Amino acid sequence: MPGLGASQSTARELLQPEVLARLKNLDLVARSVVEGFLIGLHRSPKFGFSQEFAEYRPYTEGDDPRFIDWNVYARSDKMVVKRFLGETNSHLMLLLDASASMGFGGPPVTKLRYAQYLAASLAYLASRQHDAVGCMIFDEEVRDFRAPSSQAGKLQSVLHCIDAAEARTGTKFDKPFDKFHEQSIRRGLVAVISDFYCDIEHLLESVRPLAWQGQDVVLFQVLDEQELRPDFSANVLLEDLESGEAVEVAPEFMREEYPVRIQAHIDELSRAASGIGADHVLVNTRDSLDLALRNYLLFRQRRQ
Amino acid sequence: MSLLAPLFLAGLLTIAVPFWLHRLQTESSDRKPFSSAMLLQKSEQRVHVRKKLKYLLLMALRILALALVALAFARPLWTNPEALPGPPPDGTHIVLVDTSASMGRAGVFDRAQSLARGAIDSAPDGALLQVLGASAEVREMTSLSADRDAHLGAIGSLAPDAARLDLGQAMSAVDRLAESLPPPVVLHVVSDLQDSSLPARFSDLVAANISALSIHDAGSGDVRNRAIGSIRVTGDNVDVSVSGVGVEPGAASLVLALNEVAVGEQPVAGDGMTTVSFAGLQLQPGDNRLRAELTVADDLAIDNARYHVIQNDPPAPIPLVTLNRSGLPVTYLTAALHSEPTDAYRVEPMVVGDFDTRTLSRYRWAIVDDIGIIDAELEAALADFVTAGGGLLAFTGERSASATRVPVLGNAIGGASIGGPGGDFLSIGQVDSGHPLLAETQGWYAVNLTQSTPVQAITADQVLIRLDNGEPFLIERRIGLGRVLLVAGGLENSSNDLPIRPVFVSFIIEAAQYLSGIEKQERSFAAGESLPLSQAGTTSGQVIDPDGRSILALADTTRAQRIPLRKTGFYEVYTRDGEYLVAVNTDPRESQLAPIAAETRQRWVAAMSGPGATEGTVIPDIEAQPYELWHVLLLLLAVVLIVESILANVYLAPRTTAGSS
Repeated sequence: MPGLGASQSTARELLQPEVLARLKNLDLVARSVVEGFLIGLHRSPKFGFSQEFAEYRPYTEGDDPRFIDWNVYARSDKMVVKRFLGETNSHLMLLLDASASMGFGGPPVTKLRYAQYLAASLAYLASRQHDAVGCMIFDEEVRDFRAPSSQAGKLQSVLHCIDAAEARTGTKFDKPFDKFHEQSIRRGLVAVISDFYCDIEHLLESVRPLAWQGQDVVLFQVLDEQELRPDFSANVLLEDLESGEAVEVAPEFMREEYPVRIQAHIDELSRAASGIGADHVLVNTRDSLDLALRNYLLFRQRRQ
Repeated sequence: MSLLAPLFLAGLLTIAVPFWLHRLQTESSDRKPFSSAMLLQKSEQRVHVRKKLKYLLLMALRILALALVALAFARPLWTNPEALPGPPPDGTHIVLVDTSASMGRAGVFDRAQSLARGAIDSAPDGALLQVLGASAEVREMTSLSADRDAHLGAIGSLAPDAARLDLGQAMSAVDRLAESLPPPVVLHVVSDLQDSSLPARFSDLVAANISALSIHDAGSGDVRNRAIGSIRVTGDNVDVSVSGVGVEPGAASLVLALNEVAVGEQPVAGDGMTTVSFAGLQLQPGDNRLRAELTVADDLAIDNARYHVIQNDPPAPIPLVTLNRSGLPVTYLTAALHSEPTDAYRVEPMVVGDFDTRTLSRYRWAIVDDIGIIDAELEAALADFVTAGGGLLAFTGERSASATRVPVLGNAIGGASIGGPGGDFLSIGQVDSGHPLLAETQGWYAVNLTQSTPVQAITADQVLIRLDNGEPFLIERRIGLGRVLLVAGGLENSSNDLPIRPVFVSFIIEAAQYLSGIEKQERSFAAGESLPLSQAGTTSGQVIDPDGRSILALADTTRAQRIPLRKTGFYEVYTRDGEYLVAVNTDPRESQLAPIAAETRQRWVAAMSGPGATEGTVIPDIEAQPYELWHVLLLLLAVVLIVESILANVYLAPRTTAGSS
């Protein structure tokens, strides 16, 4: 169908980072991404995502009152809530790395901005599925935190929290993860969005308690094209955005050896994630967001 | 190592500029942010280190270039340390032999030559030598060399002359010569060391470029000498002064010869000053040669004769054109011109109507006591006379007062001014005392005038005297080769009192000298002085020396010359304006044979060789000659700049930075 094909093409274009960079409102970005993504998504039980009614279940404290079926209450004096196809009644916790290294990249967008798009899109997508969404912005410390909630209006709070993140200082996973681990009681999805420039062993020490707690962890590793395939034609003095360390490198090294090293680092992270039952998703900031969202849904589907 | 201009070392502060520039360069060049350095190869820092080394090399070259510039301007001096402890070089020995007239004493010059030879023999083997002769001037008898035979030969060829030695002038000449000679310069002075040869200032004896002085006294102890000091001629009388030292009375006589003919002989007294007089000289017209000569031999022969020129020229005729030969103007002018000491002028009064204009060519200049009396014919003749080089002295008498123009000159005459503004006398207001005509005249401001002739001066006129009302009183104008002097007043002693003022006599005599065009000629010179031939005109002539030889070559006779007068006797001078004689005598100070005091000699040696030195040769320690390094530094700077340019071109070539980011 030509019409559907055109629609899918337009929606896919909307997911491109350079297009999203023109939108200043993160809420609008998230809405555009998710709606565009959903337009191109075939209804499929595999993904389990739709607004079609599935069943009733008893109301429990914490459920959104909007979903109480008052007709059933009138007839049976029981408070039940509707459940829809794809609804998991889970909660999603977004852990966004706002360290200085995330400020690298572009144009059109830096890694942090891309991560913000991704986090916002995930939050919006989860909200549409009536999942409780929370977020935590961290670098060496926890800079901002929103507890997971599916209440109306909480999404805006989460989006605002994500939008306010700025890249600065270094990265440490232990303190933020320890804090999240202390506050996290319910099991759910934990999406860690970072470039993961850290020692993998130290990262595992922070993530492993979450996995053992029963959380489903997915690691979104956001990298820029210049990090994956750097292109320098002359010697250049590269300065670490976090430590300030300057290293002068030859173009031959950056063309030939550095991609091998970064790939080894990615592979090591992926293996480590598998080792603790977590998922690892590599995201290139030049790619459209639907790839990340698709990976997320696949991950979510596997966990149900 | 020392510096001639150490203040330029402040330029070393400029090396801070490359420091600053390179700091900026290393801080800012190609530094790019990157997400993390954890995966970068640490060993790649070697590249940075290598680049840093390149920058450091460039910076060092630039600092070195600036430092070299500053050092070059500071002019460092380097002394070869190996040159210091070695023995001093043998240097230069100058042998100055006195050849003045006093050295002609018996045995003195032979002794001087012996001493000079001894000085040459005693000089170190490697020393350079030069022999100088000194009297009125210092002469290089040999060129600088180590050839002793040549120097000894030159000493043998030396002979005393008739001139005087001034030791101050001689030392000044030697000092200038020593500037260019290899140091140390040792000066040997071989002389009879007359006290009269000392300069007025002792400091003139000291020569800065002489390292040591050695005095060799060739004089004799006892002196026995007579000398003729001067000849004074008064009319036909001659007074000759004779001095004697260590001589016996009555042993000598003085012979006077006029034009080579003996005209008298008288005995001379012994020691001291004596004046011998002769009377009744029969002079010939023109210059007469007068020679006084002692008939006895003594130590110094050259001062036993003295020469004098007696001028006996006939008075020059001067035509005085007048209206009345017995008038006051003729009286005043004649009296003034005849008062000239040498009686050089003879006034020939002529009535204007009887004056033959054809005779004007016989005169050098003419006088008109009232320019208003001449007719057109005489006016034209006078104008031609002046144009051809003659002189004219004219006054504006009573006849001129009624005229409207001045004949010959053509100046307009206004109405006669009578008295001053207040009815008083007119007087002289301004005198050009710098004019040669008026330089020797005094008393113009005492002249009073009751009436003047207001001549209107024109551009061609030079007003030499003005009245207090501004009118010209004495005007000079050059016409052709001659000149006219016009006095705006008469000589009748009615309109002014100029003729009876003393200034009138001096003015008329000066005007006669000025208009005749003959300068005063010096007729007596000391041996060694120069005769300026141009004194008698703009062109030269010929000079015959006392031995009868022509001094000037044919090509030199048309150029003004200064003729050195080396011999005593009579020189014959021939110029365009005539011929005359010049008498040349030895300077009387050469007859004063008293030697320089021993104390003065010691002071001289000490001043030349430092305190504590005694008479004799003193050779000071020799310092090694410092070597200026600025040209070496500039050469090094050029090399550094070339290397810096090449390296900068290699290192700082435009580079391509990160491509896609």
